[in-house]
Amino acid sequence: MRLCGAMVLVSAALWGPLAGAQDRLSVTGEVDVRWVYATGVPSYLDGGLGTLRFDPDHDGPRLGYALLASRLRITDILTLHVVADAYGDHDRNFVDLSEAFIEARPFPTHSIRWNARVGAFFMPVSLENRGPGWTDVYSITPSALNTWLGEEFRTIGAEVEARWLGASQGYLGDVALVGAVYGWNDPAGVLLAERGFALTDRPSTLFGGLGMPPTTFYHQVGRNPGYYSGLTWRHHDRLEIRALRYDNRADPSAETATAFAWRTRFSTVGARLEPTAAWTFIVQYLDGDTAVGPNSVIAEQFKMTYRTVFALTSFEWNRERFTARFDDFRTHQLNGFFGPPSNDLGHAWTLGWMHDLGHGWQLAAEWLRVTSRFPPRVEIGESAGLIESQTQVAVRYRFHLGV
Amino acid sequence: MTHAIRPSSGTNRPRSRSATEYGGAARGFAKRVTFAGIIWVAFASLCDAGKLTVIVVDRSGRAVAEVVATAAAVPPKASAPAAEVATARMDQHDLAFVPRVLVVAIGTKVEFPNSDSVSHQVYSFSPAKRFQLPLYKGALHPAVTFDKAGLVVLGCNIHDQMVGYIYVTDAPFFGKTDSQGALHLTTVPAGDYLVTLWSPFVADDPATLTRTVHVGERDPASTRVQLTRDLRARPEPRPRRTDWEY
Repeated sequence: MRLCGAMVLVSAALWGPLAGAQDRLSVTGEVDVRWVYATGVPSYLDGGLGTLRFDPDHDGPRLGYALLASRLRITDILTLHVVADAYGDHDRNFVDLSEAFIEARPFPTHSIRWNARVGAFFMPVSLENRGPGWTDVYSITPSALNTWLGEEFRTIGAEVEARWLGASQGYLGDVALVGAVYGWNDPAGVLLAERGFALTDRPSTLFGGLGMPPTTFYHQVGRNPGYYSGLTWRHHDRLEIRALRYDNRADPSAETATAFAWRTRFSTVGARLEPTAAWTFIVQYLDGDTAVGPNSVIAEQFKMTYRTVFALTSFEWNRERFTARFDDFRTHQLNGFFGPPSNDLGHAWTLGWMHDLGHGWQLAAEWLRVTSRFPPRVEIGESAGLIESQTQVAVRYRFHLGV
Repeated sequence: MTHAIRPSSGTNRPRSRSATEYGGAARGFAKRVTFAGIIWVAFASLCDAGKLTVIVVDRSGRAVAEVVATAAAVPPKASAPAAEVATARMDQHDLAFVPRVLVVAIGTKVEFPNSDSVSHQVYSFSPAKRFQLPLYKGALHPAVTFDKAGLVVLGCNIHDQMVGYIYVTDAPFFGKTDSQGALHLTTVPAGDYLVTLWSPFVADDPATLTRTVHVGERDPASTRVQLTRDLRARPEPRPRRTDWEY
């Protein structure tokens, strides 16, 4: 929590001289409380191998989340972003940070606009998690793909983006290249190997971890910095395509007393089409591998490939939004067998409805069913094959303060 | 402004009243009314002189709105300097510039009020006008003077999806087509004019978007331009999703 304290001090130090300036401090707060009905086995958040956030022992009235996303404009081109959140999932820290970074965005003087971020932040890849704190604007629970990216990945480092602003050249759209160098994310991949894919609206926080006992992801185990590079293309305000190559470049033989380094690499590509203001279609695909253990003993090195894809369609009409999504996911273990293989195979259906009540209030309902087969469940006395479902009705309130 | 663009007066035909409405006793009165009607028609025709109508339709013949049209005399004529500096307004509302396209004469001062609840940083790096308005809400910054002809593309450094256009022209007559695809320019003196069209949504070759039109002493002139290529997708008003794009 030292970083958290430092952020508060920095914010307080900057607050004085900037008070009264034009919208220098912008705070968005959101609280989600919900009623949940779940079937299946204990969730991985409660020590099981279930793939949903809630389970029959942890349903009923629940806190979905409470978050505060603040933006402090230090100067016209420098902004401090801090997102603090609470989930109530037996977390080590009831309130924690999911992002804290400084962004520099100079005024463009020609058709290339530069943007840089330094700190801890989500990678720019999701086409559905458009809200603060990795929240999904189309339904309550994001896809398996974006659930995983929110769980195990945070860029703790520096990112630079160069965006070609097409409007200046008569093109209604833009193209951006992004690259980042980071560290402190060597354990990324461990959760996917131990549990398989999941569908939850529960991203990890920077200091708390996930699960019981909590698995933490933000450590530097080896010496190698990781990188990602990506491309975003926005065409005519109707189509957005994102592609990203990620490699944490961890040394799989490295370990500390509390964590192993997982060499995790993946490629992902996705498209969001909004042919009219009402309709949205999203498809996103991810394919990669992860490995842990000494390279010298290949047969004992745990190695796994994985891939997942989802397709989403959403229709917005007046105050209503209806969303349907299909997820498909699988993992395949190649090496290092010390028990049932971590071969996860499954698919999921999600139906969501959101109703804007006005004045910051929103009603959200979701039905989610996951069918999956994951052999390691046998080791804890459960069936490898499972059908789990979760029905949630959430009431949300969002407020915005600007000074 | 020296040359204000006024809405078309339309064709003002007098309504001839039938003498039978007043019975036979009113025959003399009807003659006077008819005579007055003839005079009025002649006057209306004179009013039509100096009127230039530009109509823009797409490949299917449907009206195309928000197309900038300018009319400049051929050969160019020296115009009287503006008696006073014109002002115009480019608002920001629901994360969009309103209007999306603004056409102004050289020398016009344009205000950029921000009517949104969030701040904007408006900029342009177009050769016709480079400027930056640091983070603001409301009407914090003074108006910006556009003193060079050309297209000025506006952006917001915080919200990349916000794009606006200011078309600065040295032509004495200009405006934008309405929902009927028509622009009615009045008070255009007789002569030959080069009509030039522009819109960010028109994909036709700019070389094909000019017409030479003769405005007569008495007859109104018009030109109808049918586009040959499909329009570019026009951004629709999007519901606010309170995005927090990464």
